This record gives sequence, C-alpha cells and structure tokens, in this order.
Amino acid sequence: MKVKSLVTVFFAVYIISLSFVPLVHDALLAKNAWLGYGTGAYAFQNQNYFVLFNDPYDGSSKPHVQMNPDFAPNDRIPIIEFSDWTSWVDGFNFFNDFNVTMRPNQRTLDVTYSRPGILLHKFLTATPDNITVELVSDKEFTAHLELWRWVMTSVNGLSIKDAPKPMQIPTTTQIEFTFQDYRLQSEGTGRITLSRVPVQIMIWPYENGFNKITIDFVNTEMSLTVSGSMTPVGRTYPTWNYSDLPYVLPVVAVLVVAIYLLVDKYGKTNKDRASRARS
Amino acid sequence: MEKRIKIVLLALAVRLAIAPFFMHAGDVGTIYESSAIALQGGNLYDFVYGKTLQMQQATGLPVFFEGYAYHPLLIYFFVPFYWLFTLIAGPYSVMIDGHYPSLPVLVYPWTPILLLMLKIPIILADVAVVYILAGIDTRKAEIYALCPYVVFISVVWGMFDAIVAVFLLTSYLTFSRNSLFSGILYGLSLMKLYTIVLLPLFVIRLFGKWKDLLQFMGGLTLTLLPVAYFLIVSPASIWNVLVTFQGTRVMGGVNLYNFIWVVQDLRFDLDISIIPSILLLVSIVLLIPKFGRKGPLLEAILAFMLASFLFGKVLNEQFLVSIFPLILLCKKCDSRLWIAPFAFIFLRSPFYYFALPILWASPVFYSYYLQADVVWRQLQAVGYLQVPMYAVGIAFSLLILWNLLRILDATSVQAVGGRGQTVGFMRRLIRVRILLGSRRHRFVP
Repeated sequence: MKVKSLVTVFFAVYIISLSFVPLVHDALLAKNAWLGYGTGAYAFQNQNYFVLFNDPYDGSSKPHVQMNPDFAPNDRIPIIEFSDWTSWVDGFNFFNDFNVTMRPNQRTLDVTYSRPGILLHKFLTATPDNITVELVSDKEFTAHLELWRWVMTSVNGLSIKDAPKPMQIPTTTQIEFTFQDYRLQSEGTGRITLSRVPVQIMIWPYENGFNKITIDFVNTEMSLTVSGSMTPVGRTYPTWNYSDLPYVLPVVAVLVVAIYLLVDKYGKTNKDRASRARS
Repeated sequence: MEKRIKIVLLALAVRLAIAPFFMHAGDVGTIYESSAIALQGGNLYDFVYGKTLQMQQATGLPVFFEGYAYHPLLIYFFVPFYWLFTLIAGPYSVMIDGHYPSLPVLVYPWTPILLLMLKIPIILADVAVVYILAGIDTRKAEIYALCPYVVFISVVWGMFDAIVAVFLLTSYLTFSRNSLFSGILYGLSLMKLYTIVLLPLFVIRLFGKWKDLLQFMGGLTLTLLPVAYFLIVSPASIWNVLVTFQGTRVMGGVNLYNFIWVVQDLRFDLDISIIPSILLLVSIVLLIPKFGRKGPLLEAILAFMLASFLFGKVLNEQFLVSIFPLILLCKKCDSRLWIAPFAFIFLRSPFYYFALPILWASPVFYSYYLQADVVWRQLQAVGYLQVPMYAVGIAFSLLILWNLLRILDATSVQAVGGRGQTVGFMRRLIRVRILLGSRRHRFVP
C-alpha cells in the first residue's frame, strides 16, 4: 500500500475513533461525580438528576437542579435554579460581596463564601432520589434566598388566580410546585423540603404562573432538599437535547470522512480538469 | 500608478475602513489591557499568573486566565500606538473588562479611535505581506489583500497573526541569502509560539554550514533576549504563562479535536489532550528525514506547519493567516483552505459579537443585540451549533491532510526525479571513465 493511502487510512480511523470519546466518557466516567469544566463550573449527573453549579464569574445557576425523566432519559428538565445574583446573607449579596471557593468530593460540592466576619458553606449533595443544598455557618445568619423557574403553574396548591400579585404563603417545611413541559408533552412536580420552618415564604407571579419563590430565614444552618418527577400527558415524541451530542458526533465523523474518501478517490481537482481540457 | 502600489493601497483602504468598527472583545481587550500595563512598566506575566492563581484557588481546577500569553516583544508593536491614543483620549480606560464571559463597557467617542490605533500594527503587517507578494506575483497579492478571511481576522477580529505571517514570509525569503537576518525574522515570527515547530527544520537545514547556522541562531537568540530577561526576573510567571498554559491547554479549535467541548470534565479533557501532542512529536520526527536536508524550503516549511495544524491540539480560527502567504506561493497547495476556518468563526461566535462597538453605540442597537443573543444562546444551549462546528473541524483537518499529502507526494516525485538525475549523471560518468580508460589503455605503450 502506498504511503499516501496508509496515512489516509490511519487518519480516517483516528478521527472516527476519537469521535467516540464523548460517548465513552459519558458511559464510564461522567456519572455520580462532581466534574469541573470551562472556567470553573461544576456539574453532577446521576441516573435521575443533572446539577449545574456555575463558574465564579456567573451568579446564576448556583445551583441549577434539572431532572432526567424516565420516559426521556437524555432530556434535562429544569426543576429549580438558585440564584446568587438575587440572594443575600446578612444584607450581603452572595455573588458580589463574597469571596468564593469550590472544592468537590465524590458526591458533595463544598462552596465556601467568605468575607470579613462571615464564613458560610453551601454543601451540594446529590443522591439518586434528590439534591440537597445545605447552608451552614458557625454563627447565626439572616438569609434571603431566591429560587427561580419559568414558570410554575402552582405552588402549594395556589395558582395565578389565587395570587395575581406577589404573595406571602403560610410558612412550612414543604413546598410543592407544578410545571408543564410543552416540548415533552408532560407535567412535572417539584418538591423542596426545608430542614426548618423559615420566617417567610413568598411566591412571585409571572405571566400565567409563578417564576420565583423567595425564602427568608434566620439560623446557623438550613438545608433545602430538591426532588422532582414528571409524567407524560399525551404521546411523547423523541426530542433533541444537548446530552444527545455524544451519540451524534460519531455519525458526523463517519459522514465527513466518507465524503472526503469519496472525493479523494473520484473527485477531480481544478488543475486536473484544466490539464484534461488542454489535452 | 504601478500595479503593485495599487494593490497595496487597496489593501490598506479596505482595512482602514473596517478597523474602527469591529473587534473581538476578549482579544482586543487583552491587547488594550496589556499595552496599558506595559506602558506603566508593569510585568504582564506576573499579572496573568496572578489572575490564574486566583482562578485556580477559587475553583480548585487547573484553569488558566486567558490573557497575554505571547512573546514579550509582541506588546511593543502595540504600545507606541496605545501611547499615541492616550495623548488624544487621555489616560482613562475606554474599554472596561471584556474577558470571557464578561462583555466590555465601551466609552464613546474614543472606542473607534482606540480600535483603529491598536489595529495599525496588524494593518501594516498585512500591507507589508501584500507588498512582498506583489513583488513576486500580483495575482497572489490580490488574493491576500482581499481575502475575506484575512481581512476578517486582521481588522474585524483584531487578531495579529498577520504579524507572524510577515515575519515568517520574510524569514523564508531571506533564508538562503542572509542567515542572521533570517534568524531574527524567524525569532520575531515566534510572537505566537506555534511557529516553534519550524526550529528543528531550520537547524537541520543549516547543519554543517556552521557559519550560517551560527548566524541564524545568533539572530534568533537576539529576539529571545526579552524572554531570558523575564526568566530571570519572574521565572514562575513566564513559565506558567508561556509553557504551562500553552503546553497544557485543552485541545480544540477548527480541528477534529473540538468534540472535547462536549465532554464537560476538565481533568479528563487535559489527560486526553496529550494524544495529539504525542502525534505532533511523532509527525515532526517523521518529517525531519523527509524535509530536513532536502526538498524545497517552502514546501518543507509548509509541511511542518501543516503537520502542526493537523496534530497540534489547539488550532484557532486565525492560525492559518500565519502561513497563508506561503500557501499562496506554493503550487501544490490549495489556497481555498481559508474557507473552513472562515465558516467556523460564525459557528463559534455570533457575528454581532464582533460588532459590539456599533451595537453598544445606541440603545436601539443594544436591544437588537439582546434579541439576537437570546436566539444564539438557545441554539448553543441545545447543541445545534456543536454539530456543524465538529463537521467543519474535521473537514478542515482533512483538507490540511490533503494539502500535506500533496506536498509529500510532490517532493517524493522531485526526490525520485533527483535520484534519477543522479543515476543518469553517474551512468554518464562511468561511460566517460570507460571511454577514458579505453583511451588510456589505447595510448599506453
């Protein structure tokens, strides 16, 4: 075999082999561990939940809890997003007023917020059943947390008709909300279980539902355990999602390599055509 | 007017007309920020290293601050123009932040003037390439002068690979005439470090011609003196920025390796990024016997650079500009190679990102920006753009391979032709000797 053919074959095999790397990583390495990427974001994936904790330069998704429905396991449906942009501790904004460090363990991400006089940990623990966000400090603190979702159709049984304006709801340790996913033709339920009764819970209307739940409390610690479930309403159709990419890339690689090989074998260059025309 | 001058003026006019209104905020922001630090006598590498340490401390990950990670001399191409700008606009910052993922705050009316001033060295480099090419072949100069890809990288993006291009081109052209000058020019082409792969080629070419080798290395060493200075005054910083960062980057770009952007696991990404580095080393070692001592220098340079583009783990959209003049001069290469990285630019970054200086000028335009950005982010979030980016990346790698194989093929034919000529010469020599021998035999008494 000529050197050119050998090199071409090697390169074709090389491209196609490497295209399987994302799939192999997803299947063998990506599950049940906090993995860092980009400019410092962390993500956790288990069989039921995907959790994103954004990089230090972004105050959103701190964390963003998403679920993988049983009937569409590659899809990621947002349950609730904690925002550092709009949450405060002792009057200081989580995003703007604290130094933040992140350190992962196998199932727990330890995010430390520090500033003179305040040291606070946000522990994120993922299990197959739920995701727990735990705030812990060595002294009592006053917190205002904002949890976002576009949009919740009801919160603790209240719909937009019951609360057309921002409304304080009875304090409780259980917050249950519903939402719809039009793409998957399904309805979902999200649950937030608090370790202690807070001082205040408010819901904030937006369009045809609520887009925000705010929780205020005073304590040395508070955990919020998030879980969710979804049921299809009608017939569900396959949908495209970012997590489908590892399956698509090998197909792209094979196609592009095949086109190259065909053109290389049967295609004519401009120079070939010109020389044939001259002859 | 002489055609050569016409082409040069046309190239200049096109670039000057575009330069004030567009930029890649991250890259132009880096040059702006670095020029300011350098003018104040600050240490750029300490600044970048300090930011990197902050990021690593915050995240617990081997992440790097993407700031000034170039040859120390590079910034002095920009500093005089930045200094002139401060004489006009004053010392206050007119572009605040802009490092990914932040968007810059721009101060008007100074931003367009700043952009023009900071792009002047790039424009001059482009114009110099056009002038040199026009002296060889005006058609090739026209292609370079008006190639949308080159124009985009230089004056829309504001990336300075044209500076690498002009030094690499002149180093090649002076190589056989003035080794000292060629060495200096090659050293200056290291403004972006990827031309380092050519060093073994130049050294082996000159091996045995000791005076030329000494002159070439002397010229190169001269340009590396600032690196030596920083290695003495802040060794940890420059090592981290130039060697650790550049050497341990995650693979990706307009190449077959950008699938890694889907794998959101930095430590794994870094580990697997060793594969192309090993193959790059192997390919260079294999090319040395092929091109080290023989074959035309132009093809040899292109073979080394194309191999580094093929197996080098990072291939950014702008890198091709550096060898584009040489590709134009090479009869075996297809100059349409630029189409793939040009297409890739618009898949990786939305066009409006480059138009921030226009869009930031009015609240109306800003609202258009926000609308477009929502759509773009949705496309990005679901991964629609990753598929064409991967396809273009592979296609570009394959096109590079195709060009590399053509060069190898052509030089093999030449080598065979050369060997054939040698064989013919030897045969003729033997025939003459036989003839002489027989004559001698005939005339010996």
